[in-house]
Amino acid sequence: MSGRSAVGLVARREISERITEKSFLISTVISLVVIACVALLPNALGFGGKDGYTVAVDDPAMQSVADAAVRQADAFDAKVELVESGDADATLTSSGIRAQEKPDDKLLNILQAANGQVRSADALRDAGLDDRRASAALSPPPLRLTTAEPIDAAAEERGGFAFFAVLLLYGQLIGMGYFVAMGVVEEKSSRVVELLLSTLRPRHLLAGKILGLGLLGLGQLLLLAVLGLAVAGAGGALDVNGDVIVAAGLALVWFVVGYAFYAAAFACAASLVSRQEDLQSVLTPLTLVLMVGFFISFGVASDPNGTLAQVVSFIPPVAPMTMPPRIALGEASALEVAGALAVTLGAAALLVPLAARIYSGAVLRTGGTIKLREAWRAARA
Amino acid sequence: MLELDGLTRRFGEVVALADLTFSVAPGRMCGFVGPNGAGKTTAMRIVLGVLQPDAGRVRWNGAPVDAPTRARFGYMPEERGLYPKMRVRAQLVYFARLHGLAASDAAAAAERWIERLGLSERAGDRVEALSLGNQQRVQLGVALVHDPEVLVLDEPFSGLDPVGVDVMSGVLRERADAGVPVVFSSHQLELVERLCEDVAIVNRGRLVASGAVGELRERGRGAWSRSGSASRTTGTAAGWPACPAPSWRRPARAGCSCAWSRARGRTPCSTRPAPPAP
Repeated sequence: MSGRSAVGLVARREISERITEKSFLISTVISLVVIACVALLPNALGFGGKDGYTVAVDDPAMQSVADAAVRQADAFDAKVELVESGDADATLTSSGIRAQEKPDDKLLNILQAANGQVRSADALRDAGLDDRRASAALSPPPLRLTTAEPIDAAAEERGGFAFFAVLLLYGQLIGMGYFVAMGVVEEKSSRVVELLLSTLRPRHLLAGKILGLGLLGLGQLLLLAVLGLAVAGAGGALDVNGDVIVAAGLALVWFVVGYAFYAAAFACAASLVSRQEDLQSVLTPLTLVLMVGFFISFGVASDPNGTLAQVVSFIPPVAPMTMPPRIALGEASALEVAGALAVTLGAAALLVPLAARIYSGAVLRTGGTIKLREAWRAARA
Repeated sequence: MLELDGLTRRFGEVVALADLTFSVAPGRMCGFVGPNGAGKTTAMRIVLGVLQPDAGRVRWNGAPVDAPTRARFGYMPEERGLYPKMRVRAQLVYFARLHGLAASDAAAAAERWIERLGLSERAGDRVEALSLGNQQRVQLGVALVHDPEVLVLDEPFSGLDPVGVDVMSGVLRERADAGVPVVFSSHQLELVERLCEDVAIVNRGRLVASGAVGELRERGRGAWSRSGSASRTTGTAAGWPACPAPSWRRPARAGCSCAWSRARGRTPCSTRPAPPAP
């Protein structure tokens, strides 16, 4: 059998076996539900939109303050509603503000400002200023804001999008890495690998496994991305425009590149052990690198064009998690993206044959954990 | 004709095979016997291409064995192994496909063997849910599903119940009668004597003797018959007759496993423990 058809057969088995596994289906459904919730909840819970408050008036003398608070709320990106009963977030009394628990700072600011304005207006009127001049003095034209860089009205939602892109990439890379590793150890621990190797070369077995699980992971990610974007777009959490779709597409490309890198590394590490219980110890260094990339990506997202961001998005093991947020935030040039992709692909291209050799040398050996160097020497062409 | 020609393989300091040469003719069943660590498994792995020899080669019908040829071999490794979570039918189809059968042929062959091995009711079950005996049947099915031209089986009878032994020997006999060279390793002399036309005896990676069972028996009459009868009386399932298993790891008691060494006219094994398995 040709190498190609062997790889195809192995890949097809990986897909058909995994896809019918209950645990895989359940994890996919859970991810979908989580993504849908995350895309919808901010609006449902009132995040992102305007903060709404209720205010009651206990003392008629405070009515004018309450009215001023309602008028001014807009300037604070909030909405204040007057209610009758004492069930309000805050109640205006003759002695001040009464509340069950400490109200939001924002509401307090609104009420204090409203109070200040009403008291100032009273004072100005008492000093003999007419209403027109008093209100002119109290409502000067707002200061105009100018910035050196254009203001992106959607910056906040782009930030959220970048965060979820990184979260999904990290989760999917580590998840599929574990699938690959567990598959390798399953074949070793069940000893089926010897039978397999009597019909195909180790590297074909490895390639088929990585390819099959990679296609599965990519499909899963695509499903999550499409659903997430659709729900976020429909729910108003994100304006799904061309830029967002391109950024999402590029995130998928980064998954493929990052997966090529990590799947080879995970498979190589897993081939060194013979039991699922020993897996954790050989995979820890790899998951640590992934976690470091994940945490660095927060720094990158907060300053997507800083030195840190520019450097780490070119370091292969962390680039798959640090370049996508820069793309999502619109802070990476096409040249940078292409360069980082090329560097990471190059690293994967170097790693894959090394990993395949170690895998070949180690996969037939059972017993304790095999040393990398031993596996390297045991491998023959 | 399946020929093992000068196979040599070292694992570090340990010489697993040293210039091992013998052949198995079509339609003949060859018992491959020798103590633990003698190199039987290494030799079989080399025949199947799972291991590379340091020197020597394997030929089938006069031509060096390559991957396409090997796809037509059937193999049962000593370490039994199947995908535990894969269903019986899917497993048989998968291995048939790996041996190069087209999808429809693979499905038909899997069905045929499921029926032949009495697994029809379990065909949709995961292998891990099967009894050990049934798992062995699936293992045999996997070795045979592509209708191999050559059969190589490492300890196919170990761990089988009497019914399993009958099924296994019946199937092997049938394949041999169909013209397939069948070589299997075994600790059970009685079985080898009963089933095989030929025998190849190895120790410490070297061929000690090979040829027709009857001929070898003539040559070392006393030793052979003694070991044979001992096996029958003790009836041990695995291991050498009347020897504490695993007998060849430690110096054997005189008069048991030494039967073979006397048959081959060498120093009794009891004074020379076999090297540890690699």
